[in-house]
Amino acid sequence: METPGTTKKTSFFPKFLLALVFVYGLGHLPPGLVPASSFLASLTAPQAAFAQDEEEFVDEEEEFVDEEEEFVEEGEGGGEEAAGEEEGDEEAAGEEEEDLSYLTDIGPAKEHEFEPFSFLGSSNRKFTWFAAQMHILFASFILGCPMFVVIMEVMGARRTQGVRKAIILSNVFLGILIGVVIGITGEIIVGIHHGVLYGLYSCAFGALMVSFLNYFHRLMNVKASAVVGAIFGTIMAVPLTPVEHYEVSGIVLALINGVVGGVLANMIMFAKADFKFERLAHEITKVIGMCYSFTALSGGLFLFVMLVAYKDFISYLVATFPMLFMVAYPTLFILETVVMYIYVYSWDPLNQQNKKGRHIVCGIILNVLGLSLLCALDGPATFMQTPPKPLGELMDMSEWSKIATMTWMPLNYHRLVGNGTFGGYMVGIIGAYMYLWSKKKEEREYYDWVGYMGNIIGVAIMIPLPAMGYIFVREIYQYDATIGMYIMSDRESMFMLVQGLLVGTMFSASNIYMWVSMKRIENAQRFFPAMKFGFILIVISATIWFTPRRFFATMLPEPGMNPEMVLPDNLAFLALMISKNTAAFALVTVTFINYIFYTIATKTGKVHYGKINPLGPYILIFLGFADIWLMSWMGTIRELSRMNWHVYKVFKDVTPEKFAPTLAESGFHVTTIVWTFFIIMTAIVWLAIKYPKTKKKTEGAPSTATPQMAE
Amino acid sequence: MKEEKSFGKKLVTIVGGAAVLASAFWFGGGAVGLPGGIRGGLAGLVFMAMIYAILLALPKGELKEKTFFQNIRFKLPVAIVLGVIIWFTAGAFGFPVWWQIEFVAFAMVGLLYFIILDMRALKVEKSAADWSFRLIATYALASVLFITITAQLPQFDPAYELEKLNKPPVKLSGLAGPEVIAAGREVFENNKCFNCHKVFWEGNSDRGPNLGTKQIGLYPEDYIKEQILEPRKIQSPGFDDPKSKKAMPTYYGEDLSDDELDALVAYLKTMRDPTHIPVEGKFGEQWTWWDDPKILEEGQKVFEGLEPATEGLNCAVCHGKDGIPMMTGALDFRNENNPDTDKMPDHIDAKLKDWPDALWYRRVTRGVDNTPMAPWGTIFPHLYLWKAEAYARTFHDPLDKRTEKRPVPPVPTKEEIESWKKEGMFLDPLL
Repeated sequence: METPGTTKKTSFFPKFLLALVFVYGLGHLPPGLVPASSFLASLTAPQAAFAQDEEEFVDEEEEFVDEEEEFVEEGEGGGEEAAGEEEGDEEAAGEEEEDLSYLTDIGPAKEHEFEPFSFLGSSNRKFTWFAAQMHILFASFILGCPMFVVIMEVMGARRTQGVRKAIILSNVFLGILIGVVIGITGEIIVGIHHGVLYGLYSCAFGALMVSFLNYFHRLMNVKASAVVGAIFGTIMAVPLTPVEHYEVSGIVLALINGVVGGVLANMIMFAKADFKFERLAHEITKVIGMCYSFTALSGGLFLFVMLVAYKDFISYLVATFPMLFMVAYPTLFILETVVMYIYVYSWDPLNQQNKKGRHIVCGIILNVLGLSLLCALDGPATFMQTPPKPLGELMDMSEWSKIATMTWMPLNYHRLVGNGTFGGYMVGIIGAYMYLWSKKKEEREYYDWVGYMGNIIGVAIMIPLPAMGYIFVREIYQYDATIGMYIMSDRESMFMLVQGLLVGTMFSASNIYMWVSMKRIENAQRFFPAMKFGFILIVISATIWFTPRRFFATMLPEPGMNPEMVLPDNLAFLALMISKNTAAFALVTVTFINYIFYTIATKTGKVHYGKINPLGPYILIFLGFADIWLMSWMGTIRELSRMNWHVYKVFKDVTPEKFAPTLAESGFHVTTIVWTFFIIMTAIVWLAIKYPKTKKKTEGAPSTATPQMAE
Repeated sequence: MKEEKSFGKKLVTIVGGAAVLASAFWFGGGAVGLPGGIRGGLAGLVFMAMIYAILLALPKGELKEKTFFQNIRFKLPVAIVLGVIIWFTAGAFGFPVWWQIEFVAFAMVGLLYFIILDMRALKVEKSAADWSFRLIATYALASVLFITITAQLPQFDPAYELEKLNKPPVKLSGLAGPEVIAAGREVFENNKCFNCHKVFWEGNSDRGPNLGTKQIGLYPEDYIKEQILEPRKIQSPGFDDPKSKKAMPTYYGEDLSDDELDALVAYLKTMRDPTHIPVEGKFGEQWTWWDDPKILEEGQKVFEGLEPATEGLNCAVCHGKDGIPMMTGALDFRNENNPDTDKMPDHIDAKLKDWPDALWYRRVTRGVDNTPMAPWGTIFPHLYLWKAEAYARTFHDPLDKRTEKRPVPPVPTKEEIESWKKEGMFLDPLL
C-alpha cells in the first residue's frame, strides 16, 4: 500500500474515489461471505450487543458458534472463545477447565471484548468521565443561560405592542416551568395526586389570562391579578387534570399556582424596562454563542472517547434508541443550532427594525428546543440507571418506553432547576470577571450589578433544588432500593456527605456575598446584627446536614470500619432525614430572610454600585466554582450508582475499572475537570465580551455596546 | 412626627408578643390535638423570630471593620474556648471521636465566617497582577479545600472492591455442609442482602425483616426459595405497606445460579434461635409469636393434631384439647404457677408463666426423659413446634385477656450466638 508521502497529488483523487468504491463494495458484500467478527462485518450490518429474548439469543449463539468454528479452521485470529469451547469439549472428559465466563458475562447482553487504554495515568474511565462532564457542563451553560437571558431580555425591553405580545408567550412559558416545579414538589413532598398537572395548568393558564388582560391594559393591579390568576388557573386546571375524585389539597395547589402565575405575569408585563437588563442579556448571549461550539466539540470528544473506551456499549446504547439518535436528536440539535444563531445574530438587526417582540419569541423557541433536547437525552441517561421492567422484555419494548423510564421525569425536573441555578451562577462569574477587568466607573457599577443579579437568580433557583434531588432519589429507591442504599448508605454515602458540605459552603458563600454587598448600601447596617445571628444558624445547620450516621458507611461490618465510625443509636436522630430536612429548611429560610433584608435595603437606601468590597467578585467566583464542582460531583454520584453495570442489571461493565473509585481519586478528577472548564470559560468570556471592548476602544468606537432600543 | 420607641420598650413588646404567640401555639395546639413535636417546632420558630426581631430593633450602630489582628484578638480565644467546650460536651453525650472532630471543625468554620464578616474591605486591585493573583488564589483555595476534604474522609480500597466484583460464582460441587453454608453467606453478602436485612446483630438496615430474629431458618427450603425468587407472593408480616411491598427486588431468579441459590438457602437455614421465639414486624413495631393471632391459630392445629405437616403429632392427646391433662404427669398449661419438670438435669426453678422461651423450646424439642414427652424436635419441623408452644401458653394466658404484648427480646449478640453452637443447643450439628 502506498503511503501518503509517496502519492502524487494528481493521482490522489482518482485513487481516493476508487478506495471509496472499494470500501463501499466491501460494505455491501452478502453477509454470508463475510466472517462474523471481522472488520468487514461491521460495514455490512449494525454491530451491537443486544440484550434479546432468550429464544433469539440461543439462535444467535448457535449461529455465532457455527461461524466461529469455520473461522478457527481458517486459522485466523479473533476466534479464541470458540476455540476455547472446542478445546474445552475435548478436555471435558479429563480435567475440567476453570470457567471464567463470569468475568466477561455482561448479563442479557452478549459477551464482548475489552481493550484497556491508558495515557499519562488516565484510563478509559477517566477519559470518558472527563469528556462526558465537559460536555454536560457546556450543555448546561447553553441550556441554563438562555433561560436567564430571555428573562433579562424581557425585563430590559421597552413595552411596545410587539414586546407585550411576546411577553404573553414568555409568561406562559415561565408559568409552565414554575408550575411544574411547585406542582411536583406538592405531588411528591405533600403527596397530592397529579400535583404536577395541577401546578402546570394552573400556573400557565393563570399567567396566560392575566397577561392577556394586561396586554389590553386591563387588570393593572397585582392583587387583582393574583385573584384572577388563581381563579382562572384553577378553573382550567381542575377539568384538565385526570383525577377520579377531587381533593382539597389539589385545589389548594392549583390556587397557589394560579396566584404565582398571575402575580408573575403582571409584574413582568408592567416591569419598568431597564436597559441594564438588555445589555446583560446581549452580553451573555455572545458567550452562549461560543459555548455552543464547545458543547458540540466536547460532545464529539465524548463520542470518540466512548468509541475507543466502551465501543460495544456505546453501539448498544445508540442502537437501543434508533429513532432518537438517528432522527430526533439530530433534528433537535440542528434546529436548536439554527435558532441559536438566529437569536444571536438577529439581536441588533431586530432591535433596529423595532421588532424586539420577535426576538423574544425566538428566545423562547430556543429555550423550548433546548429543554426538549435535555429531556430527549435524559432518556438514555435514565435508561442506563433504571431500565424499564421487566428486563427480560426490554428489547420488545417501544423506544418511547425506554425513554420514559421511572426516573426520566424526575431527572428532567432536577436538570431543569439545576441548569437554571447554573445559569445564575455563571452570570455571577461573568459579572465578577468583567468587574475585575473593567477600569471605568460606569463599567464597574454595571458589572457589580450583573454579579448581584447572577447571585440572586442562582440562589433563588437553588432553593427548590434539594426538593428536586429528593424526588429523583425517591424514584430511584422505588425502582430498586439497592441503588438507593448504594448511594445513601453504602459506597457513595461519603460522596453524599461531601455533597452536604458543598451545599453548606454554597449557601454560606451566597450569604457572605449578600453581606459584603450590603456594606455598599446606605442605611443597611441596621440589618447586620440579625444577619450575624443568621450566620450562627447557617453554621449549625451546615453541621447537622454534614453529620453522618457512619463515617465509613457499609451495610455490614467490613475491614476498615471500626465502631468509632458509627454514631450510637441514641444519637442517630441527628443523621436522619428529619434532622437533615430541618437543617435544609433553616439554611433556605436564613438565606431567604437575608434576601429580604437585602431587598429592603436596596429599596430604602442608595446602592453604591461599583463600590463593592473587592472581596465580592472573588466570592462570586468561589461560589460559581463550588456550584460547578458540586454539579460534576452529583453527576459522578449518579453515574457511579449503577455500580458495575452500564445498564443496570442489563449490560454489565466487565472492564478493570468497574469498581467505585475512591473519594480522593474522584475529588481530584472532578477538580481537574472543573479547572479545565473554568480555563476555557475564562477565555470565552474574555473573547466574547472583554476583547471586543478593548478592540473598539482602540478603534475609537464607543466603549459600551449600546443596542438600539425598539420603538 | 412620631417619636421612635426606645429599645427597652420595643424589647418588652417583642418578648411579650413572642410569649403570647408561643403560648398560643403550645396550648392552642394541644387543645386541637397537635403532636408535641409540631407544637415544639412552632414554639421554636416563634423563639427564632423573637431573636430576629430583637436584633432588628437594636439601636443603630455603625459596623466597625477590623484589621486581621483586631479581628482575631477576641474571636480566636472565644473560638478556642468554644471548641474545647464542644469537644468535651460532645464526648459527654457519647459522640465518637470523628463527630467530636467534625463539630469542632465546624466551630472553626464559624470563626472563619465571623472573621470574614468583620474584616476590613480588601484593597482595590491596582494592576492585572493583583487580580490575577487573587483570582488564582480563589481557585486554589476552592480546589485545595475540596481535594483535601475528599482525600481525608475514609476511603474504600479499590483492590478490595475489585476483588469483590471478580469473585467467581459459587459452585457447590465437592463442597460439604459447612462450606456450603459459608458459600451461602458469600452469596448473601455479594447480592447486597444486607442492604435491607439484618442477620441478628449483623447489618445496619431495618428496611426488611431481621432474618435472624425472624428465624427464617425454621421455614422449609422451598418456602425460602420462593421468598427469594417471588418476593411479592407472600409478604412478611408487618411489611405489607406499599413501600415495603415493592422493596425486595424480583431479579434474583436471573441473577443467581442454581448453585448460588442452594448455597444461599443453606445459609439462611442456619438462621435460628434456640433461646427465643420468632419475632415479626418492622423495627419499632415488632411482636413475638406469643402474641400473633395467626400463629396461635396455626399452633392450635398443630396442638390438636390437625396440621398435615406434623402428621403424628398430637399434643392434645396428653395435655388435653382444652388444657385439661388427659394423662397423669402431663403438664397442666392452665395453671400458670406450675413448676418445671424435675426429671431433667437442666431443671430450672421457674413457674410456667415465667418460663424463658429457651425452656419451652428445650422441653418440646428434647422431650422429658422417661416420660411419653418425646424429643419431638428430632421428628417434626421446629417451625410448627414453636407455633404449638405459642398456643399452649394461651391456656393460662388467653390472648383476649392480655393487656400488653410480651416484650420483644433483645437481638442476640455475637457471643450468645456462638455459645448456642458451643453448648450444642441445636439438634442439627450444622447449626
